[in-house]
Amino acid sequence: MAEELIKVTIDGQEFEVEKGRPLIDVINEKGFGVPSFCYYADLELQASCRMCLVRIEKMPKLQASCVIRCTDGMEVTTKSEEIEKAQRAMGEFLLANHPLDCPVCDRGGECELQEVIFDWGDVEERFDEPKNAHPEKFLSPIVANDQQRCILCKRCTRVCHEWMGEDAIEAGNRGSNTVIGTYGGWLNCSQCGNCIEVCPTGTLLDGVYRHETRPWELDQTITTCTYCSDGCQLSVGSRADEVHRIVARDRYVNGINGEFLCIKGRFAHGFVNHGDRIKTPLIRYKKGGKLIPSTWDDAIAFAAERIKESKKAGVVATSRLTNETVHTLKRFADECRDGTSYAVSDTYDLAPFFENLSAPLCTHKEIRFAETIVVIGGDVDEEQPLTAKQIRQAVRNGGANLILVNDTPSRLSHQASQFIHVNPGTVEAFVLALADPSAADMAAAKMGIGRAEIDKARETANATKGDLIIMFGKELGAEAQAVAANLPSRHENRNVKLHPLAGYCNSVGASDMMPGRKPVADVVAGSDALLIAGSLSDEEFAAADLASKPFVAVQELFLTDTAAAADVVFPAASFAESDGTYTNNDGFVQRVRRAIDPVHQAKPDWMITSLLASELGADFGYSFSASAVFRSIAESHEAYEGLRYPDLKDETRPVRVKHKLVSGADVSGAVASLRDRVSQFPDAADKITEEPRVGHKLHRVTTMTGKTPQFHLLANGNPKPDDLLVSPLFQFNPDGSPKKEEESEVAAG
Amino acid sequence: MATVATDYTNKVKVTDEVAEFPESVVEEMRSHLTKYPKDRSRSALIPLLFVIQRERGYIDNPGVNFLAQFLNLEVTDIWETATFYSMFNMHPVGKYHIQMCKTLSCKILGEPELTDHICSKLGIKPGETTKDGKFTVTRVECLGSCGTAPMMQIGFEYHENLTKEKLDDLIDSLE
Ligand code: SF4
Ligand code: SF4
Ligand code: FES
Ligand code: FES
Repeated sequence: MAEELIKVTIDGQEFEVEKGRPLIDVINEKGFGVPSFCYYADLELQASCRMCLVRIEKMPKLQASCVIRCTDGMEVTTKSEEIEKAQRAMGEFLLANHPLDCPVCDRGGECELQEVIFDWGDVEERFDEPKNAHPEKFLSPIVANDQQRCILCKRCTRVCHEWMGEDAIEAGNRGSNTVIGTYGGWLNCSQCGNCIEVCPTGTLLDGVYRHETRPWELDQTITTCTYCSDGCQLSVGSRADEVHRIVARDRYVNGINGEFLCIKGRFAHGFVNHGDRIKTPLIRYKKGGKLIPSTWDDAIAFAAERIKESKKAGVVATSRLTNETVHTLKRFADECRDGTSYAVSDTYDLAPFFENLSAPLCTHKEIRFAETIVVIGGDVDEEQPLTAKQIRQAVRNGGANLILVNDTPSRLSHQASQFIHVNPGTVEAFVLALADPSAADMAAAKMGIGRAEIDKARETANATKGDLIIMFGKELGAEAQAVAANLPSRHENRNVKLHPLAGYCNSVGASDMMPGRKPVADVVAGSDALLIAGSLSDEEFAAADLASKPFVAVQELFLTDTAAAADVVFPAASFAESDGTYTNNDGFVQRVRRAIDPVHQAKPDWMITSLLASELGADFGYSFSASAVFRSIAESHEAYEGLRYPDLKDETRPVRVKHKLVSGADVSGAVASLRDRVSQFPDAADKITEEPRVGHKLHRVTTMTGKTPQFHLLANGNPKPDDLLVSPLFQFNPDGSPKKEEESEVAAG
Repeated sequence: MATVATDYTNKVKVTDEVAEFPESVVEEMRSHLTKYPKDRSRSALIPLLFVIQRERGYIDNPGVNFLAQFLNLEVTDIWETATFYSMFNMHPVGKYHIQMCKTLSCKILGEPELTDHICSKLGIKPGETTKDGKFTVTRVECLGSCGTAPMMQIGFEYHENLTKEKLDDLIDSLE
């Protein structure tokens, strides 16, 4: 869209700007600066703080620049006595009920209110009326709340509504009694914490980080989240080799997620410094014996010896590992022993998708500005929260069409322009219907929907002039994935983009790093010596019977079931302790940066693998530097060709890997077998009508999230404590049952 | 200091219980919906809150849950609206809800003394209910009858140009 350029004069200087842009953005961009609180880019306007006042020629009063759109010939003054007086007066009003208790406030030091008042406040307050005083309290195990610090900018309520679609937090009461809160005083939401992040004051606070350190004592390391495939950029706050908190990057700097994070990215970092981390390498000298702490040298030598003795080796990677690690594991398989097979453990193997990819992956920004979004299967709200936020904003703020095909209603389905509610387990039939119109009637019958629904969706897609984005979840089997990946090449709209709802932070990268991989079960069954980096899924573990294998070595953070069944366990470093890269579902390869030194004796996964390889006589040419591993990646994988760490240093300009596009591939075979599969679906079924509770996957207690105690309370129904002033952790046991009096005193003391 | 209408202490015990209403009342609520466009049903929130208050005495938790389902809103949305208006009570009130106007005209013409007078007569503070559950006194913003200040309302009935004597007579006359 070519924007019309117009002329605007700010403080006597003339600028060419796009017509209709918010004046406040232009003023700030051009370096003049105007204080603001309630304005927040890409949220609906509020205009309640009145800090952003400017004088515009020919307009009667001072104007709030956040609600003014640039028009041609506009003459703006940002600094004058009149303006400053008004701004100081506004500052005074905002502080009328504010306690100014910065020395005990967790936001102190990085508080927007503090900063602006420092520059614009008056030395003296004229109000001598008593302030509204409320005690500091908890709104949930992870949202702490000090009502009296609120300046009612309503950023929190707007992000909750617009980003999260939750309306969990609102402003109650009126006038000077207005407070931010909820009905009943307890938050039963997804607990994303975005309200905390955007709050410019110390009103909504991180309950996990509460009173831990002052923000300026933290080292901030920009890195990539280790949970889902969206790959949000975040800032790890650490001090003395301990991770204390995680926040998002600054909203005006960050490329992909702004200040958005989900509950896991923001709060589930307790695992990094948890006492249960494996501290030293462990060896089980004899089958049936115990795992005994050992040294690195012994453990590496022991494992190498066993692998040498074995007949057939196998390597299993997991998709939370960095590209560097998966690549090193692949090289281990290729270069250490002939015939070593390899696999990636993932809930959603994307191989068939990437082999048939006929259009570029879309970026999260493109989702926000798309015209039509088709989501086939998946559970975006719970599994790819950033994608869900972008979809929601595209619909709410951008008027996009949202076609949602799913067997379960969700928060997002309320916002869909067309919710195609299909029979359980039949979403693949929708892919068939799109690819093969002649099978549409059969597919519609299997899905339990009318044929008209399919036609309507097709019409919407065909009428789309802008971006048409197709997303699909892990319900799609191999044939359906291949067919879906091929859809864009048959569509006349050239702006079709694909977005796989991949499972983990490096599902895409792991898939890139290990072409030619086999299913996990095959590798496990076909090898008598296994190297597993990470842990198998519960089903894979149950099927694998690791105890019966002659030799298993595992690289892990915790003694999971997989690690406990191993003969050698290597303590691995977490994402906060290692350098590397993850590739997200946009195809962006993003840096993971070491925030703290590895805890205890842990080492980065790729380093462990390459140590083992060199003991087996293979030299990868790198042993200490992750950037050298990445160079090896760039040399061996076409999509990563030519990339180097320095290219990836600026996360505001993410770098896309070049996945090969195949256009015009013949997928008729896949369509035919998909048709067969679909035709075997049952003819009738009961639809799932109950909407799962918010957080049913996000709050799940896993090896990693479970190390943050708050998750246990959330997973156990988030009970509301009797005393809101005391952390719920002191009032409940992890299972959600109330603590007995004596116990809680011990805990609190 | 908390007043009845201002719920910043948030002591409400939230449960899943949903209020039930006789068909005639549900019918009445449905009739309110017809006044607004189909996709704007939340606009009916205020008239429906009046119905809830009439039927249940105040805006209670089961009533809020009912409305949330009826209008497909979050309970917190309803809380936001209901607490904004002083005519909705989030807590039980006495049989007679005395709302003293505390805004400019009334205040200048003696509202504070009148409120003190009525409160000491009833033995309660503003925001409280007498033990027998008969009277609740709250102080509210302008009721739009400044020309006849000082004034108050009991229920929805205005009592204007108040004096202490008038107040005494009125209170004594209430059963
Ligand atoms: S944590 Fe997230 S969902 Fe919950 S109130 Fe805050 S913004 Fe809304
Ligand atoms: S809690 Fe924070 S974000 Fe919300 S209105 Fe108050 S100051 Fe603004
Ligand atoms: S930023 Fe413009 S009024 Fe708040
Ligand atoms: S000031 Fe009391 S009615 Fe207006």
